[in-house]
Amino acid sequence: MFKGKFLLTLMMMLVLSIALVACGGGDDDAPADPDTDENGEDAGEEAEGEAQADSDAPEKPESLDMWVNDEDSQLDAYEEITQRFEDEHGIEINITPFSMLDQTEAVSLDGSSGQGPDLFFQPHDRMGDIVLQGLAAELELTADQEERLSEYNEEAVTAFSYEGIQYGIPAVVETYALFYNTDLVEEAPQTLDELMEIADSLTDASADEYGFLMEATNLYFAYPFLTGAGGYIFNQDADGAYDTEDIGLDNEGAVEGAALIQSWFEDGYMPTGIDGDVMNGLFQDGKVGAVITGPWAIPDYRDALGDSLAVAMLPEWDGDQLNSFSGNKGWLVSEYSEDKYWATELALFITNAESSETYYETAGELPAHTAVEIDDEFMGPIFEQTQVAEPMPNVPEMSQVWEPVSDALQFISQGEDPQEVMEEAVEQIRDQIAIMGQ
Amino acid sequence: MAANDNQPDVKIVNERHNPTVAALLSIIPGFGQMYNKRYWKGATLFILFAAFIGVMYGFIADGLQGLITLGETPRDDDSRIFLSYGILSLIFLTFFISFYVLNIIDARKDAKRIQLGWEVPDLRQGFKNAWDTGFPYYLVAPGLFLLIFVVIFPLLFMVFLAFTNYNLYNAPPRNLLQWVGFDNFVRLFTINEWRNTFFNVLSWTLIWTFVATTLQIGLALFLAIIVNDKRVKGKRLIRTVFILPWAVPAFVTIIIFSALFNDNFGAINRDIIVPLFGSGIPWMSDPFWAKVALIMIQTWLGFPFVFALFTGVLQSISADWYEAADIDGANRWQKFSNITFPHVMFATAPLLIMQYAGNFNNFNIIYLFNQGGPPVRGQVAGGTDILISWVYGLTFENQQFNMAAAISIILGLIVVVFAFLWFRRTRSFKEEGNI
Repeated sequence: MFKGKFLLTLMMMLVLSIALVACGGGDDDAPADPDTDENGEDAGEEAEGEAQADSDAPEKPESLDMWVNDEDSQLDAYEEITQRFEDEHGIEINITPFSMLDQTEAVSLDGSSGQGPDLFFQPHDRMGDIVLQGLAAELELTADQEERLSEYNEEAVTAFSYEGIQYGIPAVVETYALFYNTDLVEEAPQTLDELMEIADSLTDASADEYGFLMEATNLYFAYPFLTGAGGYIFNQDADGAYDTEDIGLDNEGAVEGAALIQSWFEDGYMPTGIDGDVMNGLFQDGKVGAVITGPWAIPDYRDALGDSLAVAMLPEWDGDQLNSFSGNKGWLVSEYSEDKYWATELALFITNAESSETYYETAGELPAHTAVEIDDEFMGPIFEQTQVAEPMPNVPEMSQVWEPVSDALQFISQGEDPQEVMEEAVEQIRDQIAIMGQ
Repeated sequence: MAANDNQPDVKIVNERHNPTVAALLSIIPGFGQMYNKRYWKGATLFILFAAFIGVMYGFIADGLQGLITLGETPRDDDSRIFLSYGILSLIFLTFFISFYVLNIIDARKDAKRIQLGWEVPDLRQGFKNAWDTGFPYYLVAPGLFLLIFVVIFPLLFMVFLAFTNYNLYNAPPRNLLQWVGFDNFVRLFTINEWRNTFFNVLSWTLIWTFVATTLQIGLALFLAIIVNDKRVKGKRLIRTVFILPWAVPAFVTIIIFSALFNDNFGAINRDIIVPLFGSGIPWMSDPFWAKVALIMIQTWLGFPFVFALFTGVLQSISADWYEAADIDGANRWQKFSNITFPHVMFATAPLLIMQYAGNFNNFNIIYLFNQGGPPVRGQVAGGTDILISWVYGLTFENQQFNMAAAISIILGLIVVVFAFLWFRRTRSFKEEGNI
């Protein structure tokens, strides 16, 4: 392996590192110089499809490792996508199926011994944990890469930054929307008032018939209503960094939202103890006009309702489009990767418009790249909703928010005073954050 | 260090062979054995020890040093790996020290026997003796070895974690862990949020353990005695039916129960309670009723095992006892409390203690029924959270490994102490039963 070419490689490395220093994209805590001990590919590559300044790029590694979540459809999609990357750049991509949920632990334990991947795949709300554990590398994007990243969903890109520093490239975005049964609701309600009219006219609790149901005591789904009138979880600065001291869940807007949710229970539009199973069951029995849920429900709903199923964006509240909570998943470059530049290139390639389209067609997940056309009647409106969706805060402190707020919503559904309950919840969140770790 | 443990009525044959010298010589393993003229044994021991020291010295020294420092440069050193190597070193060191002590004792023992005129066996005889006396140990050794690495090692790792600052903000590999002594325990009992939650959860955990387990045992005893009565027909069928809750996987049952108990849509409220009483019981939204529901479910899930146990024991009680009691004019209650109950308790006490310990840490039912809910205003843990489900949340949702480890140690201690006291108490049945 290392016979005659070894010297040559050394020479090339020298030349390249000089080139690197010359273009001066250096940062002090991550050496941009890839100190590989492998033979580089012969640099006589043909011109790239995407006008890249390949001469400025570090030397190409022989191969890159990526961990793909172990679902067949996702693996198939990435097999196809990475094949294109190989054809284009001549870098071999090794895909290892690896459950998304176990990846961070594995990177943390195996990364230092060089057995980790170059790229791994994570939901954005784990960002804080990942950065605190020091698993993801800070991305040093070239101007050209920045350019390409600007075509992505801005919120999703921000979701992969932490304290203003970009650590990942978003791949998919998931959020929820309004699903309705056209037998009961002819046209999607445009405003909250229309939705309430539907609830009012269709609800007959004694016969288990409801106009509008949602998991109202779950913060994930209740978010648009809590924040629609000016509530917020953690205040965000211009860079997208969160200020965890500044919690806006007990301000006027949030309490207004909480009171709105309470009114649904008081008016009998929603039964207490409503949960996902009950909601899905009743909706599939054709007894509910509209529900709020995500794309994961489409297969079951379609089987149950057939052509009567339709999807729309969430309605407007006082003239403002309701946002929604989104979960993004994306690619992170491992801190232990020896070819961070090319790993970043790969991450950008597998999430670009063309790849995203392939991925959507094979794995059925909505892209974070905005240039993709989604013309599916169900996925289309959800994709539109992702454009106005707000990512869940990616700070670790968020883990302390879910339960107190969901508990608070439960108390509210039982008729307790919204103002009092929300203040209590915020206090609890503060207490919990305080004891999270000194 | 005169050997004054020579019993006066024993005749010393070899006056000049001194056990103390043998023991002192064995400070270098094998030399004492050579002094005892067991050259092969001495040589083998010496080589083994020398080899062990030669091979392991570096590893153990580094390991122990790493255990103290937990690494020096963040990123390059992973404290968790230092910790595990340190624990491994400790285990190896324990092995070494125990064998070392054994070797000294062995030299001294042999020397004393030589003093009394014992002939040193030849090599073949020596091997044979070693095989005969050591046989049980050879059998147990592989299992013991496995036990140490599969059970003891992870436990030690957890115990050590309780004394570090391993939480999300100090997580390796970015940071190094630090030893913080008893800080975590101190925080658990001094910081209000921790303390209040801990004691709330602990009190419910104890109530839950006591009530749920006692109920399932009581129900099982009652049913076992009824079914065991001579006048009951179709015993086999009845027993089969009673075993069913045990036969269905608890995971599935609990999730189904969770749906049945739903306040608005569950069959229990809908089809039973509301028609009978006019309004439903808030099983899922009121902590008290949620606890009642959990205890009922656990009783239902847990009694078949105990029932099967008791049925077996009841059949083994000799009829003579009851006949004798009848002749003495004992009534039903006296027969039960003086014959049946002691018999059953004596035979099953250890297993019943296991039932209590099992329920104390019965994570499945709490988590699957409603994740420890419903919420209680002003408390962090849910209304039905027991310690183990709370620890689960700390570990997996908040990554507070240090606190979770500290609480786990307390959990373990509680179980150990209770089990110990109970096992002690069950001896009283022994004396009573005199079996």
